[in-house]
Amino acid sequence: MAAHTSGPRPAPSTYTPSRRTKTVYAVMMFVGVLLFALGLIKDPTRTWYSYLTSYFYFTSLAVGGLFFAAIQHISKAGWSVVIRRFSEAMTAFLPVAAVASIVLFFGAKSLYIWLDPELVSHDKLLAGKASYLNMTFFIVRMVLFFGLWIWFAKRIIGNSLKQDQDGSEKWTLKNVPNSIAFILVFALSYSLFSVDTLMSLQPHWYSTIWGVYCFAGLFQSTCAVLVITVGYMIRKGLVRGWVNIEHLHDLAKFMKAFTIFYAYIAFSQFMLIWYANLPEETIFYLARSGGGWMAATIALFVFKFAVPFLLLLPRAAKRSVAHTTLVSILILIMQYVDIHWMVYPNLSQTWIFSWYEIGTFLLFGGLFLWAITSFFAKNSLVATRDPRLEESLNHHVVY
Amino acid sequence: MASGKKTGGVAGIWLDDHELMVAAEKVRHAGYKHFDAIAPFPVHGLEEACGVKRSSIPYVTFVAGCTGLAAGLALTWWTSAIDWALNVGGKPFVSGPAFVPIMFELTILFAALASVGAMFVFARLPKIDPPIIDPDLTSHKFAIFIPENEVNYDAGRAEQLLKSLGAVETKRISEY
Repeated sequence: MAAHTSGPRPAPSTYTPSRRTKTVYAVMMFVGVLLFALGLIKDPTRTWYSYLTSYFYFTSLAVGGLFFAAIQHISKAGWSVVIRRFSEAMTAFLPVAAVASIVLFFGAKSLYIWLDPELVSHDKLLAGKASYLNMTFFIVRMVLFFGLWIWFAKRIIGNSLKQDQDGSEKWTLKNVPNSIAFILVFALSYSLFSVDTLMSLQPHWYSTIWGVYCFAGLFQSTCAVLVITVGYMIRKGLVRGWVNIEHLHDLAKFMKAFTIFYAYIAFSQFMLIWYANLPEETIFYLARSGGGWMAATIALFVFKFAVPFLLLLPRAAKRSVAHTTLVSILILIMQYVDIHWMVYPNLSQTWIFSWYEIGTFLLFGGLFLWAITSFFAKNSLVATRDPRLEESLNHHVVY
Repeated sequence: MASGKKTGGVAGIWLDDHELMVAAEKVRHAGYKHFDAIAPFPVHGLEEACGVKRSSIPYVTFVAGCTGLAAGLALTWWTSAIDWALNVGGKPFVSGPAFVPIMFELTILFAALASVGAMFVFARLPKIDPPIIDPDLTSHKFAIFIPENEVNYDAGRAEQLLKSLGAVETKRISEY
């Protein structure tokens, strides 16, 4: 409410991706497809592992964008109105992720040992889980998850876009029950999604906190993408007079909070298993404490929690575009390391990373960026007719 | 923000929080540094208008938090490995993961208590018997108080300034 004046405000600039940007995305996708195809010829199993890693990484970001928008509607948040569109843009990747899931079905046999009937018939534990872990039910669940996510995205983000046209506040009111329903669905569907795609790589082992662990990474990395987007928009001056450092500050606080949350959940999972010391549970951490995996485990603690936490502690740090962008990049790298750390020990006892992994990451990264930027090119960068807009424009972080 | 005890000065009264904020900014621009603005409810932006510096409490919190972390480590280490070494489930005496919850809790405890303590010290609380500039300052009036320990203080000039900024009333206070 402080000294900001709300005089006539220029409409937010429209975003048109430059030729160079489009070329970069095209090259990313082209190189990605090429390496993916080459990988399928040379080492299909490893290629499918790398596919799953990048697939999970970017799908989580897309669902995370929807989740972020939903909690803004539920909490009737005023501060975030001008940046909500950036999270809505992330959901543009959901249809692509749905198609990518269909591709994943073709690689499922290389990934999931519970799809091997020979093995299941000799394994009492796997036979007991066969009513859940089987191809038909796996496909049914995936269709259900993506169906629900896309349906909710269409409703929640669709309503927000319709409001840009007519400025009616009924869309804001409608989005409250929509978002409440989505949060309930999200809690269940994303937990099961992470169990189905990642935890079932090692079907004998289970952790009841797995879904929350994946969610912690999802939200931390979603905040990181939003911080980078807001920083980019501010630097380019595309949203001058709409989005300012105050919004970045609160977003960085969000990112810091979920950096702590990640460490809290990660430690909760680890400590119970370490304390009980049951062989059937400790296999997960044993597989991640040798052959170079220990370095990754320690790196997760240091670079996914300790370093970002300390770097985001000072107030001035959260109010700097360059600084928050760098921390966000670190968090996004560590989110990849995290998923890689969850997935790859099931394939290799030693830490591995090479062009197989880079290829699929480029492919999905290109698709993700392309989806986001085409959303921005089509829609206003700011929800300009939201009833809580004035509150957001005058948002001011007190010391 | 409170100035030293038993300091006299001049107070101006306003009836509108926005006018108070504008006036506070002008008083600051006039060169006054130790003046105080008094309002019955929190007014957003008043700190900036008065030129109040950011509080040092976060630094106290950080140092206390680090102390708590170290204290938690020292406590768990000393009790479970040095003073009364006890074999729990065949794990080493110094087992980091088992110490983490205690270290975490003590970090929070130290940081929280120190923050509250620092807040009391910095705000010079408790104030048992605050001077009363105007009883209505707790319901609907706003005031700016210029203490006499300002550099180049002159009661007449201060009164003039407050009046020129729209104070509906000015008062000379002998003790604040």
